[in-house]
Amino acid sequence: MATYDSLFSALGLEDWCAKGKDDGPMSMADLLAKTKGKDAEPPSLWDLPFPSMDALNESCAAFPQSRELTKGLEQGFLDIKDSLSLVLDPLTQPLSWFLDSALYGMLNTPWWIIIPVMLAVVFVVTKSWKLVMFVAGSICLLAFIDYYEYAMQTLAIIFVCAFLCVLFGVPIGIAMSRSDTMQRLTIPVLDMLQTLPPFVYLIPLIFLFSVTESKLYGIAIILYAIVPVVRLTNLGIRLVDKDVIEAADAFGMTPRQKLFKVQIPLALPNIMAGVNQTIMMSLAMVVIASLVSAPGLGVLVLRGIRNLELGVGLVSGLGIVILAVILDRVTKASLARINASQKQ
Amino acid sequence: MANDIKISIRNLYKIFGPTPDVALEYVKRGMNKADLLDQQNHVLGLRDINVDILDGKITVIMGLSGSGKSTLIRHLNRLIEPTAGEIHLDGENVLDLNEEQLRQLRREQMSMVFQKFALLPHKTVLENAGMALNIRGYTVADFESEAVKWLARVGLEGNENQYPHQLSGGMQQRVGIARALVSNSPIMLMDEAFSALDPLIRSDMQDLLLELQSELQKTIVFITHDLDEALKLSEHLVILKDGEVVQQGDPQEILLNPNDPYIVDFISDINRARVLRVRSVMDTDFDRDADYAGDISEKDNLEAVLSRSGGDTDKIFRVVRDGEMVGSLSMKALTRALVPTDAATERGLRKN
Repeated sequence: MATYDSLFSALGLEDWCAKGKDDGPMSMADLLAKTKGKDAEPPSLWDLPFPSMDALNESCAAFPQSRELTKGLEQGFLDIKDSLSLVLDPLTQPLSWFLDSALYGMLNTPWWIIIPVMLAVVFVVTKSWKLVMFVAGSICLLAFIDYYEYAMQTLAIIFVCAFLCVLFGVPIGIAMSRSDTMQRLTIPVLDMLQTLPPFVYLIPLIFLFSVTESKLYGIAIILYAIVPVVRLTNLGIRLVDKDVIEAADAFGMTPRQKLFKVQIPLALPNIMAGVNQTIMMSLAMVVIASLVSAPGLGVLVLRGIRNLELGVGLVSGLGIVILAVILDRVTKASLARINASQKQ
Repeated sequence: MANDIKISIRNLYKIFGPTPDVALEYVKRGMNKADLLDQQNHVLGLRDINVDILDGKITVIMGLSGSGKSTLIRHLNRLIEPTAGEIHLDGENVLDLNEEQLRQLRREQMSMVFQKFALLPHKTVLENAGMALNIRGYTVADFESEAVKWLARVGLEGNENQYPHQLSGGMQQRVGIARALVSNSPIMLMDEAFSALDPLIRSDMQDLLLELQSELQKTIVFITHDLDEALKLSEHLVILKDGEVVQQGDPQEILLNPNDPYIVDFISDINRARVLRVRSVMDTDFDRDADYAGDISEKDNLEAVLSRSGGDTDKIFRVVRDGEMVGSLSMKALTRALVPTDAATERGLRKN
């Protein structure tokens, strides 16, 4: 005798319920109830269960249990999986090529070319010798303790993913800034991407793609890291001084001229702040993505956890911190240069 | 040249709100601004504006904040679309233009100077000055000589490669004026162009504008809330209040014959001796052989005549234009003209 029996009899659904008997697997609660013997006293109002799927299933066997919901979702995903990957596979294949060639390039170019080239890039974007010295010192330290290869793998992945984030994120942000409808539609998606635990979107990706493919972690990183650059591009363009926009209109700029001559240049400080955040978030995700075979320092962190190798875990964690500081300082310094030339 | 009409505004209405067409009917039936806001939740921007803007003259549109003057000037190049009415530029209705024609009009016919300068912060002074030509597709090399010429003309020689944020407010507005001049458009719209500047610099800029105008004779529409500025610059003055034209015409005429208590209040604080000119107060019915204390020009302001007279109110001056006598001015008449409420009281506008 379960709580909601009377509800189903009142609705005249007893026949329908009886048909579903012996269908569902036995739940833990059922087993426990069996071992205890039949419920002795009628349940008081205090113990009234919420009319949830499982509670209703107790009264009417034809009613689905909650685990059937999750199972159904899984089955549904598996059913469309093949056709989905038929479309997504070729679309995302270039990502695998980018990642693989970036990794190959980083690892097969000798260190005495890679390090000077990186330092030169740092100097060009920041024009600061102090920062160049700092980056040189940090990379040499990592190389000295034989973490060079892992660090370079991590950097290669971040470069590819952050570049693609900017490539897709800036146009999305521009589209959002131009249409309120687009903004209304996009913001919930961005909110979801930002709050969904990163592990959660690894699961469907594992179903869709083979774990040996690099695009698997590439997609995970891009989905996680693209949010700030989209948001800040949108914000930056919306914050452009209304007076300057009006002047652009008054002198007869076309919408295209306005975008490239006024809006994007004036939004650049905000867009660059978004790029900075995107790079930092790809670094955070590249560590988690090591769970799905992303190479780099994350693999060492994972090894530290799995084998309880405290030293390896700590040193590789420190390596990630060093990379984070380098990337942050370099992007911030170039941002500051843009800001300095733009203040009003 | 003469007094050709460059732009004529006819029956222009602007109502802000969700359904301006409905509200327009109420306004046409005579509902006032406050009631429209209360009952219909619409803001009356402009009501039945009819203004002619003369070719080659400075037309000043004056009013307090909220009077709709900035809204009005933005209708001329359709930065704001009217609810009803017509705007004719050289006989053609601006409101009939399609997007491309409108862009052409903004590029070639009208340039604009803004209260907050609205320069591009990431471009040099030179590039800002050449903005209008850059928009038309010219490169820096094409417009450099033109931009340098006009920058020098507004007093910014040698600042070409600086950025706007390195300049003071007055200098930034000079760039704004140079930008409008480089576009070489016959019409210049100036939206409170000097309001953000401090008084001394503002006076300098007004002189600069008058000097440029005597040379270029552009059609200038100038918006201001400052009566002294309006009287100094205007050849045709339009006074707006709550979205309606209260009086328009020759500024001297408005000063002597205000037709609304609002204007009387407005003009009661100004220095009339400096603003009024001999031609507006002189007596044209004169006796050629009377005993005159001296010759004065009809363009002199009363302040100059006062200092000439040395305070003696018995003197009568001969008013001369191009060496020809055109009138006489007694110091008594001059003194009367200096009392602000006189003219108004005579017409019963000030009852108290």
